Amino acid sequence: MTSQTARTLGASLRYEFRMQIRKRAVWIVPALTVALFLLIGGSLLRDLFDKGERPAEARTAVVGLAVQVLALLSIGYGCLLADRLIRDDRLRVAPVLDATPARPGARLVGKYLGTAAATAVPILAVYLGLAAVYAVHTGAPHALGWALATCAVVIAPGLLFVAALALTVPLIMPAPLFRVIFVGYWLWGNVAAPDMMPTLARTLIHPLGGYPLDALLDFHGIDGDDTWAGPVPSATLNFLRPDPTPTTAWLSITVLLVLAAAALAGGHAVRARRA
Amino acid sequence: MRIEISGLTKTYRGGVAALDGLDLTVPTGMFGLLGANGAGKTTLMRILAGLVRPTSGQVTVGGHDMSTGAGRTAVQRGLGYLPQDLGVYPDLTARQFLDYVALLKGVDDRMARRRRVGELLEVVALTGDADRRLRGFSGGMRQRVGIAQALLADPRLLIVDEPTAGLDPQERIRFRTLLSQFAGQRTVLLSTHIVDDIAQTCRDVAVLARGRLAFRGTVDELTHRARGQVWSIVTDGPPPAEGTVVSALPHEGGTRYRVVAPAAPDPRARPVEPALEDGYLALTTR
Repeated sequence: MTSQTARTLGASLRYEFRMQIRKRAVWIVPALTVALFLLIGGSLLRDLFDKGERPAEARTAVVGLAVQVLALLSIGYGCLLADRLIRDDRLRVAPVLDATPARPGARLVGKYLGTAAATAVPILAVYLGLAAVYAVHTGAPHALGWALATCAVVIAPGLLFVAALALTVPLIMPAPLFRVIFVGYWLWGNVAAPDMMPTLARTLIHPLGGYPLDALLDFHGIDGDDTWAGPVPSATLNFLRPDPTPTTAWLSITVLLVLAAAALAGGHAVRARRA
Repeated sequence: MRIEISGLTKTYRGGVAALDGLDLTVPTGMFGLLGANGAGKTTLMRILAGLVRPTSGQVTVGGHDMSTGAGRTAVQRGLGYLPQDLGVYPDLTARQFLDYVALLKGVDDRMARRRRVGELLEVVALTGDADRRLRGFSGGMRQRVGIAQALLADPRLLIVDEPTAGLDPQERIRFRTLLSQFAGQRTVLLSTHIVDDIAQTCRDVAVLARGRLAFRGTVDELTHRARGQVWSIVTDGPPPAEGTVVSALPHEGGTRYRVVAPAAPDPRARPVEPALEDGYLALTTR
């Protein structure tokens, strides 16, 4: 990477982060989702602070919390990012930016990282905030370490994958349609049981991070008797479900990041072809 | 930066030919570009800014071949571009927007960037509004932000497409003066519908019609095209049926019409000295 490319990436990242973090919806959507979560369910959240109900291990508690937070808040996350790339054209700013010598690819990556990071701030604040409260409440400071590890191997790869899709797919379809399809995809890909219908759940391409949950964080559900990745008897797509091991967990993370990079490259190509 | 264009064609999807074998040379200094809507001016400007690839033909800017990525980047390093219908990020302040564009233009030194942004905000009379979000700016204020961003990084080639649209008369005059002062050894390509802006700032001018070059010469030569074809008629009846009415002013005893026509459109018509607008109309309404 040349220094000019790095500077372009940095400038784009900084300003896109700044613009996105100021967007009210970035804060309102996760807040409403969390409120809804607490109203209609949120049993784990309550259980975390109930001595008789909470999991015995801090690791299980904070990783389980991450699964619930990521599963719920990622829907809003994808929807909030859906207009960020196309809005340069909608706002008619694109000609001014495209006429600069800054490399479009570096601008795209900066926009991707900046908007993805800004939109993730409320999610991370909710998650790490709850994890911190839990750590203090239970006198288990190592819970924060597990929370950070979960951020690194589950939340970050999942959100980076979702962000790449959300930024680039609306280049080829209207953003509202993308949002509808994305919600459907999220429920299908994460909730539908693999033996009921073909689904990406429990595969290497599982943005909820089934493989790292299972093989890196040794998480098997709150009760300790679930599995999050690997083959399912009589399910289709089992070729995408190798046995969960640390190697396949890292492979899963790599696959998500490679797919994110491919989506960005595709988006870059679509924009270039329109010139 | 000298611009040389030969056989330039741009056909959009659907077969719409915006440019059709255009040949044009633009020297250093102020250069005006006139033409009706759809004549191909904006497409030409977008090609010169490196935003649109031509279908065929050659374009070199300052010796850089615009058909190559390296050539486009080299031109963009010295380019200031104010597009028609400029947009801004509503969630940034004017100062932040200019800072962002300056960074993308490669003005890396923070102090130099701050200084330049401050100077340009002063030039476009927005210092007092520099830290307000652009969301609340009027069309004219946004246009001034656009002018400021085009002048960042001291461009050697300035391409401005309808730059005075949305500006009040004083702002227009100030901007025209700014452009003329700026030109010097640089190239300023000014595209506009407002013929007076060209008359007040440019020596050289080109007229595009249906994607082709209809005229290339000096402003005086274009004006001269209408010599003997501009008429003044005062009548209380309908406007003359022959020719193109340039203006209609209420006058004692009726209306005074200024008409461009090859021959006197009425026995009462008397010839008058042509202006640039007459020359343009004489050329384009033949």
